[in-house]
Amino acid sequence: MDPGSTQPAIETTGLTKRFGARTALDGIDLQVPRGCAFGFLGPNGAGKTTIIRTLLGLTHASAGSMHLLGYPVPAERAQALRRVGAIVEEPRFHMHLSGRENLRLVSAVRGPETSDRIDPALARVGLAERAGEKVKSYSMGMRQRLGVARCLLADPLLLILDEPTNGLDPGGIQEFREMIRAMVEQEGRTVFISSHLLDEVEKTCDAAAIVDRGKIVTQGAIADLAAGAGARHELIVGVDDRDRALGLLAASELVLEARPDEEGIRVVLAGEPQTAALLNAQLVGAGVGVTRLEPVRHSLEQRFLQVTSRLDADLVPEAVKV
Amino acid sequence: MTAIALRMTGADFLKLRRRRWLVLLALFLTFGILLIIYAVTVIQHASDAAKYGPAGGSANFRDGLRVLALFFGPLAAILIGVEAGTGDASAGVFRDLVVTGRSRLALFACRVPAALALCWAVTVSGFVLLLLGTLVFASNLPTPSVSLVLNGLGFTLLGTGMLCAIAVAFASFTTSRPGAIVTLIAWQVVASPLLASISSLGSARKGILSQAIAHFSPVSVEGRHGATVTMSGGTALIVLVLWLAVFLALGAWRTRTMDA
Repeated sequence: MDPGSTQPAIETTGLTKRFGARTALDGIDLQVPRGCAFGFLGPNGAGKTTIIRTLLGLTHASAGSMHLLGYPVPAERAQALRRVGAIVEEPRFHMHLSGRENLRLVSAVRGPETSDRIDPALARVGLAERAGEKVKSYSMGMRQRLGVARCLLADPLLLILDEPTNGLDPGGIQEFREMIRAMVEQEGRTVFISSHLLDEVEKTCDAAAIVDRGKIVTQGAIADLAAGAGARHELIVGVDDRDRALGLLAASELVLEARPDEEGIRVVLAGEPQTAALLNAQLVGAGVGVTRLEPVRHSLEQRFLQVTSRLDADLVPEAVKV
Repeated sequence: MTAIALRMTGADFLKLRRRRWLVLLALFLTFGILLIIYAVTVIQHASDAAKYGPAGGSANFRDGLRVLALFFGPLAAILIGVEAGTGDASAGVFRDLVVTGRSRLALFACRVPAALALCWAVTVSGFVLLLLGTLVFASNLPTPSVSLVLNGLGFTLLGTGMLCAIAVAFASFTTSRPGAIVTLIAWQVVASPLLASISSLGSARKGILSQAIAHFSPVSVEGRHGATVTMSGGTALIVLVLWLAVFLALGAWRTRTMDA
């Protein structure tokens, strides 16, 4: 039985991986909750694939501890991976075999209970009709989908996908995104996606961690990450009397900060986003006409660039010292 | 063998048998070469029966057995073994098998019986052709005894099986298909006969794999495959076991420890 269905899908503490003198992972503390799509975001060379390879036992950790689905890895690696499906880097297959035969190979290794899942998995990813063709005739998108079908043989509680949309056309990316969301929302699986594509993570994932130079810079819900450490909720407020409104907003206990900008008044709420309705009532009650009340949507890209460039700035003094 | 090991072996066998060029080449080496030999000798006999004897009979069986068991059979075995040892790594799917959580040793272990199954299938096809040719084209010549036929089959399976298993292990160790093929064929075809012919090496030559295999030959190999080093059956058996154990250990160690 799953030892801790309430424990995080992935949990690492102080995870470190060194290649000679180079430190690829530097004390990674990561928590991936269950039942969500979790993005692992970072620029190329940040250590995304290394952490996946380490989690899956493809390479050994230099220090730290890891748990997958509550099982300690590598101590109980076989048990942990029984319900984990993974695509590391690009999905690779025996090109001279058909899609179905490739799944048969993995099914044989996983165990007899998985053989009944081959046809449903192929149907799930839309490859049932071409499953008998050799993989060398498949497009990149079809190979990605076959890779997901291979993961589904494990009936995975956790899917680990490394740059899953690489090589996909826009239509393929959209299909892939919908498939991931369905796996999370309808099937209750946890999907861990590593990517350098901010837009992709923002649209697909519920939460994310940003990694740079082998370190987790920040992690949390996508909206919180985008908003910043304090998860501030901001509004653009359009009014018919800007000066009067500014005075009212400055005096309101619902507002932390109010300042005019080119779109109207930018307001930082003191509480949750729902307090925007109360603020609207206050303004209308005071006779100010409200023409616009729009939450500010922070871009993960802005946050990503901010935290990674901040890291660069932090490193400068040390580099100078050296 | 457990059910899961059988399924894994079956999966490895599937990878090999669907590798069309490999099967065709192995069949050519074990079956096709003998077919060509029979075709030539039958035509020669038909064209000048006084000068060329029948293609069948005991003497031709012995010659054919040498060709199959000591030369072309082992070449086919090397090709099959190397493919079995490097197939997953070269296709890039080894890591996908590792992430199933299955032990790497189990992944390695299943390659050997799968390779042996294909190796022996093509070898036996060649042996069956040899036997048929021996009997069909015997004319008035004596035919081999049942004992010689069975010993010949056993010897052929031993020689090709040893080379095949060692090729699986060596290829798993090197993870390089071309490197393993070149090294093993060079060892088998060039280095082994050469070393065996250097008498100053004395009893050290007993350690040569092909010499230990040749000890179990039901037909004389002297003068056909370089010098034959005399050794006891026990020594030959120990040499075979040592070769197998050392290479399997190396292959298993590498499979277990390499980054996938």
